[in-house]
Amino acid sequence: MDLQHRNNVKVMGDGPATLIFSHGFGCDQTMWRYLVDHFTGRFKVVLYDLVGAGQSNLGAYDKTKYDALAGYAQDLGEIIEQFASGPVILVGHSVSAMIGALTDRQVPGRIAAHVMIGPSPCYIDSNDYVGGFKLEDIHSLLDTLDSNYLGWSSTMAPVIMGAPGQPALGEELTNSFCRTEPEIAKQFARVTFMSDNRKDVTGLTTPTLILQSTDDLIAPVVVGEYLHAVLPNSTLCLVANVGHCPHMSAPSACSEAMDSFLSPWVRTHVD
Amino acid sequence: MSTDAPSLPDPQTLFEEAPCGLVVTKEDGTILRANLTFSHWIGFSQPELCGKRFQELLTMGGRIFHQTHWAPLMQMQGSVAEVKLDLVHRDKRTVTMLLNGVRREHASGSFYELALFGTTDRDKYERELVKARKVAEDLLREKTATETALQNAQDELKSAYEIAQRRASFAEQMVAIVSHDLKNPLTAIKMASDILARGERTAKETRMLGHISQSADRAERMIADLLDFTLAKVGSGIAISPSTVDLHKVVSQSVGELRIAFPKATLLHNAIGAGRAYLDADRVQQIIGNLVANSVAYGDLQQPITITSRQEEYEASVSVHNQGPVIPQSLKAILFEPMTRGTETDSDARSVGLGLFIVREIAKAHEGHVSVDSSTGSGTTFDVHFPAIDADRE
Repeated sequence: MDLQHRNNVKVMGDGPATLIFSHGFGCDQTMWRYLVDHFTGRFKVVLYDLVGAGQSNLGAYDKTKYDALAGYAQDLGEIIEQFASGPVILVGHSVSAMIGALTDRQVPGRIAAHVMIGPSPCYIDSNDYVGGFKLEDIHSLLDTLDSNYLGWSSTMAPVIMGAPGQPALGEELTNSFCRTEPEIAKQFARVTFMSDNRKDVTGLTTPTLILQSTDDLIAPVVVGEYLHAVLPNSTLCLVANVGHCPHMSAPSACSEAMDSFLSPWVRTHVD
Repeated sequence: MSTDAPSLPDPQTLFEEAPCGLVVTKEDGTILRANLTFSHWIGFSQPELCGKRFQELLTMGGRIFHQTHWAPLMQMQGSVAEVKLDLVHRDKRTVTMLLNGVRREHASGSFYELALFGTTDRDKYERELVKARKVAEDLLREKTATETALQNAQDELKSAYEIAQRRASFAEQMVAIVSHDLKNPLTAIKMASDILARGERTAKETRMLGHISQSADRAERMIADLLDFTLAKVGSGIAISPSTVDLHKVVSQSVGELRIAFPKATLLHNAIGAGRAYLDADRVQQIIGNLVANSVAYGDLQQPITITSRQEEYEASVSVHNQGPVIPQSLKAILFEPMTRGTETDSDARSVGLGLFIVREIAKAHEGHVSVDSSTGSGTTFDVHFPAIDADRE
């Protein structure tokens, strides 16, 4: 199995520790472009696409394997094994934060720390837990994905209109960003939003930085607080941001918070 | 410059009444301005819209989609186009719109400029298409499953057929071996009783030797019947080797032999037509033997048994008629099935119930058929018809 091809793995930068960036539902590794450059001087950086997303090998998409987040967690474990050196810090956005936690459970001790951006262990409300969504909301999402089927399946990604004052993205990027096979997108949406990983995260002692947007529909503040409460070695950092992608809309606030959290793993300069 | 050119409405009117919804938002989605067209479509007044976040106008699914797909797209690419969204009208009904959006940098900052088009009817059509595609996919899956099931069934049938074939061939061999092996001791019994009969015997001894001889003959016929039955029922069918024969001669010879076998019966032979036919002579004699034996067993021996051989343009036939009790209707239906016997079987009746079955099978082997007619006035007639196939062969 060629992992590089399967997950479109990109390795850059150099440092004593490895940062692995794992994107969330809906996008691919290009979403890290505002954040990555900040770290390549001090860390080895690994980027990859989840199978089914971006420029991953769609032929490797196995409906049974990826019918649970554990399938993606297994892939991440294999990527760590092959591409990481030194302590490994996972930077996971949204659902990838939970994929990282599952990988941590699969290979205990291999992961030194987590940076979770907009994480949620469970999206659907139940009893005294508030996830922010009801089951019918998730069905409404699947319906929205369905109704964009025609437009999305022909071109795979929304048509790009030249935006004034925007540096044009390379052809490669514009054609792949947010590109997902509709059937895969729907299954991934179902797997993501129906998952309940509260048991997996509870009591996980790996040091964890939770980057929580102040206003995020997908992962409300109350969910960030829940995670902070169940992860014994966690730090909750609120980032003033509207939306689910602070690493895109507030990249400097994110990198600042990460810098201080990551300081134990940066090479100390002896002058 | 022509003065005839109608003057365009002012830009303000063009914006407000454009044939599409126009919305300007901050990067976080807060609506700064919305035109009248959009305001009418969504049911909120312009002042109500200002300050609201655009995503608040979406269905919950649309909001998640906004967060996971088009907000990052706007961020990354500065534009999205042809994204279909469900918006919620003030009166709670869903309004489907198609959205194009760009991020534009102005001196005062970045804004998202959105154009929206009503697409409710087109949306219905597209949903029909998606539904039709799903139906097609389901049907394809169903077809594939059916084909697999059919293939499995065929495989099972094939292996069942092979097993049946092996069993049939085994049964055939078994019966052939048994009947062959039984023939030898029977021949020995017959020879011994013949030799004994040549000497001086008391009346009682002669009678007993007669029984031995008759019983051995019966046993021999039963073995032959059993062999035919096995061939017809589980094996490859009763084999015939037809040739051009004189039907009348064949029947006459048979009747002669039967007169000796059944001395108490009166056998008459009628020959009608020329007589040339293409048949298996031994098998025809077997038919007559079986039918006459039946007549002797069940008919009235005070009356003659009439055997008729007939040859006409398109067919040849042999029939055996006797006067006797009528065959009950219930028995008629199963008369030619194996193991069927008449009700008044006396202990000396010859068969194990295979005689008529074998008659039918021999007729079938000749592509002919057998029928029976039984009534109080005219007695019982078995009629075996052979089509005149290849009668002119040679």
